[in-house]
Amino acid sequence: MNIREILYTPLLKENPVTLHVLGICAALAITNSVTSSLIMSLATTIVLVISNATISLIRNHLPGSVRIIVQITIIASAVTVIDQCMQAFVPELARTLSVYIGMIVTNCIVLGRAEACAMKNGVTHSILDAIGNGVGYSIVLVSVSIIRELLGNGSLMGYEILALTRDGGWFEPNEMMLLSPSAFFIIGFMIWGVRTWLPEQVEQADFKPLPLQQAEKI
Amino acid sequence: MDNNSPQKAIIVVATVAFIASLLVSSAVVILRPIQLDNQLLERSRNVMQLSGLLTDGETPTDDEMLRLFRELDARIIEVDAADFSDEHDPNTFDQRRAVNNPERGIDIPPASDQANLGRRSRFVTTYLVWEDDKIKRIILPVRGTGMWSMLYGFVALESDLNTIAAATFFEHTETPGLGDQITRPVWLAQWRGRKIYGGDASPRFAVSSGSVAEGSNIAQYEVDGLTGASITGDAVTNLIHYWFGMHGYQPFLDKLRDKPPARPEQDS
Repeated sequence: MNIREILYTPLLKENPVTLHVLGICAALAITNSVTSSLIMSLATTIVLVISNATISLIRNHLPGSVRIIVQITIIASAVTVIDQCMQAFVPELARTLSVYIGMIVTNCIVLGRAEACAMKNGVTHSILDAIGNGVGYSIVLVSVSIIRELLGNGSLMGYEILALTRDGGWFEPNEMMLLSPSAFFIIGFMIWGVRTWLPEQVEQADFKPLPLQQAEKI
Repeated sequence: MDNNSPQKAIIVVATVAFIASLLVSSAVVILRPIQLDNQLLERSRNVMQLSGLLTDGETPTDDEMLRLFRELDARIIEVDAADFSDEHDPNTFDQRRAVNNPERGIDIPPASDQANLGRRSRFVTTYLVWEDDKIKRIILPVRGTGMWSMLYGFVALESDLNTIAAATFFEHTETPGLGDQITRPVWLAQWRGRKIYGGDASPRFAVSSGSVAEGSNIAQYEVDGLTGASITGDAVTNLIHYWFGMHGYQPFLDKLRDKPPARPEQDS
């Protein structure tokens, strides 16, 4: 694969969220504000790059039996170091995201890319793949958060866009948008949209339902 | 060495664990002083904002903020004695450490433990703001258990020791977008002018379950509820009830109202 292909495929064609449906937990939790989403995207991308690069570097010396443990150790250390750096250098942002930075460890995309890419490919390839997937993840996170913050709070990155009725404006915010389930719906619609546009992403049904008459006999 | 031999597995795991722990612990140790400086700066920003000494729209530089903060009249209150105490230095006393110290902390009887604290420090640091020879504001620390985390904040009272001048929450890990609305300036601005006590024995102040119309009869004591964060909102009500109740600052405030302290000598 050439560089461009490795970088661009995860953006839409093989997006970690819309195709693989990975990393949903964080996508539900922090997408109610654009600022949090941006920081979360950046932090996740950095962790992805570090973990993919390190794991790819030592991939030939990783015994299959303990590889997941080693991968998680590397990912968790990278996340902890980044969390500590954020608390030291950007304390305000660290405070906004609180526990969620630490939870990047449990983001399936990071471990998924380590297994699927870094274990099989060279360092350069793994880093490009990490950047691609990080950006692909960021695109989803930020788009969901734009919808949620705009409809739920009438603002973007904290700046008022639609004047709220409670402040004397005209826009009645949909408060459900601030709650996690709304992200389920938005991501669901996004996956639907992408798969309608690119039908090859649609998964085969696991089984065919029996016709009604036959089902009644059983 | 064969990649699948147990020896190799142990060597790889041990090496990775060693390097990883080295990285993590050095990051924590190296960054700790910077993080502590950040905390002090954040604390001074919060206290200064509550002091009413900063003019609106003006943000002093970090050094200036720390200087102003150090100039405040910081004192230690011995909560259970309802009086000021000279036992500790207000600039170095660590309230959080004192909580679990057998001598400096005490257990809170479950019946009065509205804020779910379990224990608290016997001493707290307070900041007095003077206007001529009268107290203009008193800034008191509060804390309580929220949805996920301990909420740490300050409440500043006006000279009547009942009306809230300002309030802030400077540390918590509540849900971003929901519980963290307790730090929204618009919401905190509502606290201004609300009263803690309403003539009953216990505090009257509360975070409402809905919105509070200005001019209604609860508007004197209640602020708007927090959308999607009723547990955090209730926690805020409870922590105010605890800290301004009989096991908290109420005896001290009653005493202070009768016998105002003298302004310390200014050394110029």
